[in-house]
Amino acid sequence: MPGLRLLLVIIVSAALIVADQQFDRLAPVRSTLATGLTPVHWLGNAPYQFSDWVSGLFTTREDVKQENEDLKVRLLILERRALKYAALASENNELRRLMNSSELLDDRVIVSEVVGVSPDPYSHEIIINKGRSDGLQVGQAILDAYGLVGQVVQTSQVTSRVLLVSDSSHAVPVEVVRNGLRAILLGTGDSGALDLVHVPDTADIREGDLLVSSGLGGRFPRGYPVAEVSLINKEPGEPFVSIQAQPKAKLNQSRLVLVVFPPLDNTPTTESAQEGQD
Amino acid sequence: MLSVISYPVFVLSVIVSLVLSISLFPVGWFEFRPEWLGLIVFYWTFRAPAQFGVLFAWCLGLLLDVLEATPLGVNALGMALVAFLVLTIHQRLRMYPWPQQCLMVFLLLGINQMLVHFLKQVFGGEDAGFSYLWPALTSALIWPVFSILMDNINRKLG
Repeated sequence: MPGLRLLLVIIVSAALIVADQQFDRLAPVRSTLATGLTPVHWLGNAPYQFSDWVSGLFTTREDVKQENEDLKVRLLILERRALKYAALASENNELRRLMNSSELLDDRVIVSEVVGVSPDPYSHEIIINKGRSDGLQVGQAILDAYGLVGQVVQTSQVTSRVLLVSDSSHAVPVEVVRNGLRAILLGTGDSGALDLVHVPDTADIREGDLLVSSGLGGRFPRGYPVAEVSLINKEPGEPFVSIQAQPKAKLNQSRLVLVVFPPLDNTPTTESAQEGQD
Repeated sequence: MLSVISYPVFVLSVIVSLVLSISLFPVGWFEFRPEWLGLIVFYWTFRAPAQFGVLFAWCLGLLLDVLEATPLGVNALGMALVAFLVLTIHQRLRMYPWPQQCLMVFLLLGINQMLVHFLKQVFGGEDAGFSYLWPALTSALIWPVFSILMDNINRKLG
């Protein structure tokens, strides 16, 4: 009798695996189950919330005041920078409009908290506490204060799963800020090192170059810092240089991340694309 | 075999094991974490083979698939296999002394890990040597403590 059940289960599992992997039919099922499992994520994260709460209880008034002062100073500095940025952004938009390009710089973001990490040590994924009910969709970019973190790969009602740029199945189209050289940045499974691939031997690239998302895949918004070139290894006779880069985002440490929404205005992009071809 | 089975304890143990399989505790020992859900499946099919079996293990494995974002059905199949093997040997298993029971836990959960690892490889996972067997080893090591604890809870509340 158990043998019969095992046989049944093997057949059902095989069907499920094939439907999931080859035909991608099970996203709704997975999403429903994930919504049901939200309390599990919540409980898994509870110890951290609790320790945060306890450390909050034992903070002295002086510490809080000191922190408040520090934050005010920092806010002032950032606001000054933002003032300058606002001027630059409007100027930039003006110039773009003059060039008949419709791309505007402002992206909408919402803040989200990391509530879990993938239990599989070989996959680099995190779980955040915003989901479909907040308007998240598969494919959205995730940032932290320093750079690109990854992209949403699965959403449930109130949580989402984010694939980090360091996962070995992840790739980002990037460009070098200094000269606009385009390349693809691959994850390696090591959270401190990414691979910049298919860069020709003669390309102008140096250690310390900042790589920003180029927006060419249509998935990541343009211009966010992704990584910094840390090691260049030229092998004579090889057609491509092997280049390592260090991610700018603090992939292992960030507790708060930003979810980027594409800009709301639906200005005709096809028109500008045609203009670009002319 | 347990004389009484407490279903609340069963539900609670499943929830706790699911939480433990995604929580990061203990920090830095990620690779060596016991396969909690595997232990739960092993324990319940061993103690109450008439009530729990292949299908229940398969459902629990499916939940683990969702939590781990593996292809749906991979962990489910592994857990069902564990339950099936426990069902076939549970009468002999009861006679075994602790060390031999631990060995069986290691073997069965090791088979589960191998199957899951193999299927992940097929769908383009990373190769990481034999380190994927660590959970089976740590599960085997904590099996005596785990089963005595669960027996006690069952007796108190059942």
